[in-house]
Order: sequence, then C-alpha cells, then structure tokens
Amino acid sequence: MTEPSDIAVMHEVGDRAIAWLHRNQDGFRPRQDETTSDFEVKDRLKPIGELALIGKVLFREGVAGSRQAALTRQLLDTAWRDHLDGGTILTWMQQQEPLSPIPFEIYVPFHELGYEEPAFEATLRSVHTLESWSAMETPPVRRLGISAFERRFGLPRSISTEAATAATWLGRRPEPWTVEMNVGYAITHTVFHLTDWGENPGGLPAELAEYLTQWLPAWVDDWLDIGHWDLLGELLVVDACLPTPTLDPAAWRGFAEAQTEDGAMPAQRGTLPEGRREDVFDALYHPTLVAAFASVLATSRAMGDLRAPAGSGAA
Amino acid sequence: MKQLSGAVHDLASELVSALRGGDHSVAGTTGSLGGDEALTVAAVRTLGADVLLPSTLLRRPAPEPDVAVCRAAVHAYPPGPQSSPTVAWSHWAMERALARVSATPPPSDPPGASGPPGGPDPADDAGPVPDVTALREASWQALTHQLSVLAALAVPGADSAVAAEAARRPVDVSRGFVRAIRRRDWLQAAGAGRWLAVVDGVPATLGLDAGLRFALRMGGADARVALHVHAALLMRASDTPRVAAPGHGSGA
Repeated sequence: MTEPSDIAVMHEVGDRAIAWLHRNQDGFRPRQDETTSDFEVKDRLKPIGELALIGKVLFREGVAGSRQAALTRQLLDTAWRDHLDGGTILTWMQQQEPLSPIPFEIYVPFHELGYEEPAFEATLRSVHTLESWSAMETPPVRRLGISAFERRFGLPRSISTEAATAATWLGRRPEPWTVEMNVGYAITHTVFHLTDWGENPGGLPAELAEYLTQWLPAWVDDWLDIGHWDLLGELLVVDACLPTPTLDPAAWRGFAEAQTEDGAMPAQRGTLPEGRREDVFDALYHPTLVAAFASVLATSRAMGDLRAPAGSGAA
Repeated sequence: MKQLSGAVHDLASELVSALRGGDHSVAGTTGSLGGDEALTVAAVRTLGADVLLPSTLLRRPAPEPDVAVCRAAVHAYPPGPQSSPTVAWSHWAMERALARVSATPPPSDPPGASGPPGGPDPADDAGPVPDVTALREASWQALTHQLSVLAALAVPGADSAVAAEAARRPVDVSRGFVRAIRRRDWLQAAGAGRWLAVVDGVPATLGLDAGLRFALRMGGADARVALHVHAALLMRASDTPRVAAPGHGSGA
C-alpha cells in the first residue's frame, strides 16, 4: 500500500510539470518565425505528437484534478488550433511526404480527442492501401507503434500486434543485465504502444508483464542512481502500467527532488540548460512531459489501490 | 596492503586452477605462496572457506597443508565482539569447512555420497552461529551486496541461515545480479551469481549462465571473480543439491 504522503509526492510532480508546460507552451510552435526552415518545422512536429499522446492521457485521467485537466485541455486546444493551424500543417507535411507516418501518429490522438481534418484523413486512407506503407523500413518498436495507431484509428493493420511485438527487443525478453539506454527507450515505447500510452494496461501480454515485474526494479534503481531523469520518468510510467506497480517511494522521491523550482524536469542530473529560450525549451520539454505522464498514471494507480477493498490491494 | 592483495590474487588463481582440474600438488593450493607464513595466513583468511573449495566441490580430501593453514587463519583472526556479522559469518564458514574436511569420507566412497549417512553432522561442531537479522531486513540491493561478500558460503547443500535468506529471495538476488553487471561490479556480480547457482526460483529470463560467462569475460582478470564464476559454473553443471528456503526442511 502506498502511503498518502508518497501519493502527494507523485501528484505534486505532475502538478508542477503541467504548470511549466502551460507557461511555456509557445515552445511547441513549429514555426517560430519566418526564418524557420521547412525541415525544422517538420522536425518540431515531434514534440506536438508527444504532447498530444500524453496530454490525452492527462486529460482523461480523473485524478489529474480540475485545474490540471483545464490546463491540459488548453494546451491541446492551442496545439491543434494554433500550432498545427487546425491540422493544416499535418496536411502540408503529408503533401510533401505522403508515406511518412509522422503526421499520422500526431493526428490519431487529436482525432480521438474530437479534432478533425477531413482532407488529411482522405489522403491517409488512400496512402494506407499502398504496399509501400506496410513495406516501409522502420525499427521494430516503431512498426509496433504504427500498428497500434492503425488499430486506434480503425485502419486495416499492416502487421498484427503479436507479430510486431515479437520483433521488438522486449518481445524476446532478453538478458535483463544487457539493458543500455537505447534499449531502455525501446522497452518503454514498446509498453507505451501496447498499453495505448497507459490507457489500457491490459494490453500488455502476461509474459511481458511478468518479465517487467521481475526486472524493472533493477533498471529503475540504476537510472535513479545515474540521475537520468528522462529515462527514469519513462520507466516509472512502465511501472504504473504493470498489474502490481511498485510505485517505488525512493525512486519517486529522487525524481521529485530533481524537479526544478519552476516545475521543469531536467533530462539528467547536473545539466540544467541555459541560453536562448527555444534551446532551453527543447532541452526540457520532453522530460517535463514525461514527468507529468508518470505522475498522473502513478497517482491514478495509487488512488486505485487506496479505493480497492481491503485485501485486494498489492501485496 | 598491496602485498596482501597480490597474495590473495595468487591464491585465488591457484584455486581456480584446482577447480578447473589443473595440477594440484600435495603441497596444496596454499603452498604456492612462498615462505611468508604471516602473509599466507592473511591471504587465506581473506578468501576464507573458499581455500577448501576444491575439496568441497570435487569431493576429494583436502591437502593437509591447506587444512593446517586454514586452522592457523581461524586462530590468528578470531572475530571479536565488535566484528560485523559478515566477518563473523565468514569465520563461521571457515570453521564449518574445516570440520567438514576433517570428516571427509575416504576416496573409495562413490561420488554423490555427500555427508555421513547418519548421526550428527560433524560440521555442527563449528562455533556459535552469528546473527542474520540485518540480512533478513536488507533491501534487495544491500542483500545482494552482503551475500556477494559472503559468497564462500554458497556451496552445495549449504544450510546456513545466510543460505536460507538467499533461498528465500531468489528474485531479489537476481535483481542484484542485474544491478551489479550494469554497474560493472564484476566481483559483486560473480558472488551474487554464485548464490544463484545454488538456490531455486531464479527467473529463467535472467540468463544466469550467460551472465556468469559475461562477468568472467569482462572481469575475470580479478582472480576472485574467476573463482566465484568457476565455482558457480561447476555447481550449475553438476546436479548440486539446492539450498532449501526456510520452511522447507532446512537442517540449520
């Protein structure tokens, strides 16, 4: 059973992270001014995609509190109407790179939240029938993600979840002591895609849940010690997706202590960025978004345990 | 104490050689260290019961010089009232190993007939049993660290309270093994891996054999790492009696 004081620590991390994201939301704008190149605009769509995926979860989770939910809704609204210009920036990129999965991956969570761009969808459905769409060479975890977005959007699957999962690092359940940073991110994203970014923990196959239950504590301990808050945050998300999350109080305290006064989460210990506002934003937005994500899921699980009848909680 | 670490290294290397079936002279493993008796005794105390490991694992009589120097080490470095439980346990294990080799059945006995068929275990004559409370309450990280320091107690059929703690928490020790390899702490990994070789319940996905060989490949220049890994692989290869978890008929 997680103590109420531990839940308060988790909740506070997300509360402050969302407030930082809201204050700095202009950083998500893909075209900062006339000098921004088209290449850079496309590159800067990635943060909006992450904002949409995570923001949707933040918004849907009841525990986020009305203030958090309101701020998140404003963030998502601004991202769609202003930063994506009502979806036309996605259509613009789609015109230039019809087979790129990037605009599709960004569109799906917005679509699930009720935003629409019919022209984008029509082209997508057409391009999706191409053999080339399924044949596109991507790392296995990305292929799993595309498969998951197809499922979420109601498109025929270019590969089954089972086949896509089997091709990932996690799907093979290799020696847990070989996990390095890039493997760590492959693991977390495999879990994100299988659980619809934490919305459906039941999407995690039982054998992968068992494997993660056994080894995740060792990885959490390791990246807590290293002070890599970005990956630690993602690992804490994975923990919150497990059948019996540990909600490790020591890891959460360390994570919370790493957060800056203004709510930003540095990517790593001792690397607080300085300089141009855009550069500071680029260095901080991802770990801060992940902190909000981990916080809302962990708080939700902890509150669920509190609400569960006696004897049915975690051992 | 560079001299001591060198002597420990040499002694551990000799033990590895003996475990791997290398030439084992009648002068015993400890005979290789030269004439400095005090240094030899100190090195033997550092490696503890492992000095008698070849006879324990290969089921053959211990060379008399090894037994003699082990006795000398036990007498020269008795644990005091301020000694940590780790020191006390290490001492206990040496006394126990000495009691066992003194009761080793003649070589004509078939392999596998470990221990006397009946009556009290002569090893029970070893001194008072140290405390295990700290180990029982340790986090999985601290448990693994402490067990690794006490890896000499990880032998076939070990029935100490330390072994019972290891047997009770195989997943925790497995996590510690992962942590040690990730940290490139090869000695801790080898010690933890040796414990995992004698307990049940180690998750198959750990890849213990591969992990032991990895630790040997990366950290085997340290002879103590090689000693633990070879001991573990030897115990994994033979049908070693496993350590019983508490409540499963431990004879401690």
